[in-house]
Amino acid sequence: MKKKYLCGVTAVVVSLGSMFWLAHTATVAADAPAGSVTGVVKFQGAVLPPARIDMSSDPNCLKAHPSPGTVEDIVVHSGGVLENAVVYVSGGLEGRTFQPPAEPVVLEQKGCTYKPHVIALQTNQKLSVVNSDSTTHNIHPIPNNNREWNMTQPPGVPLEQTFAREEIAVPVKCNIHPWMRGYIAVFKHPYFAVTDKDGSFELKNLPPGSYTITVWHGKLGTQSQKVTVGEGKTEKLEFAFKQ
Amino acid sequence: MRVLIDGKGAAVVLFLLLSCWISPAQESRIGNLVGNAKHGKALYQRYCIFCHGPEGDGRGDSAPYLDPKPRDFTKATFKCRSTPSGSLPLDSDLYDTITRGVHSSGMPSWRPLLRQERADLVAYIKTFSSRFQEEQPGTPIQVPPEPPTSPESVKRGGELFQSVNCWLCHGKEGRGNGPSASSLTDSRNYPITPFDLTSGTRLKCGDSDQGIFRDLSTGLDGTPMPSFTSALNPDQMWDVVHFIATLRAPAKHHSIELTASPKAD
Amino acid sequence: MKTFGAWLLLGVLLASVRPALAIPAFARKYGLPCSACHEAWPLLNNFGQTFKDNGYQLGNGRDAPIYHQPEYWPITFRVTPTWHRENNNRAAVDAIPGSGSSGLVEASVTKTGFDPSSIDLLAAGTLSNNISFFVQPFIGTGSTFLAQAWVRFDNLARTHWLNLKVGKFELDEPISQERTLTISNTGGTYYNYFFTPPGDSNFAGIGGNPVGAELSGHSQNDYTRYSIALLSAFPNQTYSGYANFTQSFELPKLGLQRVGVYGYLGEAPTFFQTSGGTPIQGAGLGNRSFYRAGAYGIWYVGKFDFDTFFLHGQDNVFLGNSVPANQAAALPLGATGPAWNGGFVEAHYLYNPRLVLTGKYELIRMSRQANSNIPSELGNLDTWTVGYRWYPIMNPRAGLAWVQEYSRILNAEAAPISGRADINSSLLMGFDFDF
Repeated sequence: MKKKYLCGVTAVVVSLGSMFWLAHTATVAADAPAGSVTGVVKFQGAVLPPARIDMSSDPNCLKAHPSPGTVEDIVVHSGGVLENAVVYVSGGLEGRTFQPPAEPVVLEQKGCTYKPHVIALQTNQKLSVVNSDSTTHNIHPIPNNNREWNMTQPPGVPLEQTFAREEIAVPVKCNIHPWMRGYIAVFKHPYFAVTDKDGSFELKNLPPGSYTITVWHGKLGTQSQKVTVGEGKTEKLEFAFKQ
Repeated sequence: MRVLIDGKGAAVVLFLLLSCWISPAQESRIGNLVGNAKHGKALYQRYCIFCHGPEGDGRGDSAPYLDPKPRDFTKATFKCRSTPSGSLPLDSDLYDTITRGVHSSGMPSWRPLLRQERADLVAYIKTFSSRFQEEQPGTPIQVPPEPPTSPESVKRGGELFQSVNCWLCHGKEGRGNGPSASSLTDSRNYPITPFDLTSGTRLKCGDSDQGIFRDLSTGLDGTPMPSFTSALNPDQMWDVVHFIATLRAPAKHHSIELTASPKAD
Repeated sequence: MKTFGAWLLLGVLLASVRPALAIPAFARKYGLPCSACHEAWPLLNNFGQTFKDNGYQLGNGRDAPIYHQPEYWPITFRVTPTWHRENNNRAAVDAIPGSGSSGLVEASVTKTGFDPSSIDLLAAGTLSNNISFFVQPFIGTGSTFLAQAWVRFDNLARTHWLNLKVGKFELDEPISQERTLTISNTGGTYYNYFFTPPGDSNFAGIGGNPVGAELSGHSQNDYTRYSIALLSAFPNQTYSGYANFTQSFELPKLGLQRVGVYGYLGEAPTFFQTSGGTPIQGAGLGNRSFYRAGAYGIWYVGKFDFDTFFLHGQDNVFLGNSVPANQAAALPLGATGPAWNGGFVEAHYLYNPRLVLTGKYELIRMSRQANSNIPSELGNLDTWTVGYRWYPIMNPRAGLAWVQEYSRILNAEAAPISGRADINSSLLMGFDFDF
């Protein structure tokens, strides 16, 4: 009993003390003009036409998706640019903590597919899942480093969750509609981007310094490059996956 | 001002000190039983280690020959709980699973072990995942009193079974042969089949109507079976439970409870 | 006295039949380790005893053979190759070895060597839900026979309380003689289960495997158990009945304790119908009664467990004197039904599931000899045994134990010539391999 009391008192003292230090760390290095890293992710190699998805098991999906959906494992657009690649800072941010933004990131279920196929958000940032279809889905992320949950969602009913730990990336699926696959990449910091149809990315507001930039793709793996960001400068990088 | 302790370090120190206050994860509390992880470790090595593995990751020597695979305790994801999906189980949920066993799997009912021994095992199992120290279990689902069944309730339940897409996995007659059934995998990527409601086999997490209501509310984490709290209100859930009761084989096909029982202890 | 020696030898021979049961086939079926069901195999713990009482079923819906891989066969075999050194301090031997006419003297006889061991081959499990079976051929040097062959209809009327076993089976003994941790011929068994007083023609006892039917039942947690059996313990013997009632209870901090009472009551023929002077098997006459009864306890105190056992036995005067019931005049002076008391205490220290130490002390005391010609202490015996088992291999596929045992039995006034105490001692070491 006495030991617990002593523990408790020390805990309060240390926690109060550490809060002061905490307040200081947040303000460090906020003063120098920020730079950015931009670029493009490419894919070099033969691109097979994507497989078609058979949605006939659920008539509601068939109706909502008149032209057949396709598997989105590797999506390459004209110019050999790769969609759904996640580019992020993987080194150089040691010792810094970041607060999650207040706005949620939205994952939409539309036409019985996930839109977008890959999303990225910060730890403890709200994920807002939206069901725009006329059929009930279930959202089932299968993380390695976060809690696993599995919730059904009828049309129009809102659903919000957060992820507590960094994980790149959490596969998410709908068990009811087995072709629905996506990824949720969770970061401790805000320096990430998911490439769109033009394969481009931009990591803004980076304080000057040396960083390692990594690109992750669900099927093609990861690649990293080092870059030094000067004050107010924009560095250009290019990543290329080969197959 | 120089930073002496950064935020991360402070959090670690804070946690270590606060852990003096929080009941250590080396203990479990079920009713007035207090389980001890040290005693539980010796019991685990006697009874559990060949399926669940020395590291508690489900990779025991027997595991390659078992289907479904033994639970991986390091993930702290459990099927049979009374807490919402994604949440840790209560100590009593783990105790009930050990006592009841998991029907149609390799997990026997350990009722012949003393109550204290089962509580000790729960305490030891909790040491395999740091989540038990970092998180608290969610608020348990309250199962409301069951309204009497009626043809209207069964009819509503049947319509919900359709509209909420149960049938896509469980099949229109509940045989577990829905259009999506053959594609299902559990969270470790092993194939898994939806429960055949017509088989007369006992349900894994308890066989009563209250148990089914709870399963629908909590979902069976680690499997494709989701939680339906966003889709069904309690009355609708009871309708679905009443409908499911009409799919199930008559009671005489149920095998006698040898050591398992819907109510643990 | 010579006759008694013969009975004792027979008793020892019977006792040396050591079918004993730990069944890796069950471990393979369910993926459980030996230690789940066995305190230290072959000794059962409460989980294993419950499994056995349920008809070798776990009740998890996977018991019927249909749920198992086709290549799973419910076969187990057990062999115990050992080295032994046995000594008898007062055996009757020729004064000059090799000379049959030199006269018999008492001398110490030592036998030492490797024992090839018999093979226990057994098949056991479920034929379908709630029908369990057991078939056990025993293959020994010089004898092969069916030690057990039975079918049990489990959970009749959907209740744990009714199970019917028919065939040749191991009696529901108070403390299982077939699952002792000791394996030597001398001290490895329970003499109380096989004892026949000097001069007695009745071989009945609660050891050995009778033929008959047994009705048994238990509570869901197996704390309360009963069994009632109708048997023919030996060929040529009429019916006997056996009953065993036992109750377990928890003592906080100590563990599960079990107490019980048992009784064995029957009739044995004292002579037979003959044809041309040869007795007709099974056509016994002049049946007279006998009984054995007592109480026992199985106590757990942390890593120790103790068995305490008491037996009182009594045979009818005609059985006790080996006199046909139609020849009352042939009864010797002071003839009466022999009676005796016996018991044992056995302790195990389970250091961990892979190392167990055993010690046992057993005794029998005649309280009434069959007639006044029999020395008052003849038939009394004291035996003690110490040993240990170490299990380097214990997994769901097979088990291997290394065994060392020393035992000593003192039979009062049983030396063949001098009538002094006859002492047999045995040192044994070897392997116990169970697949």
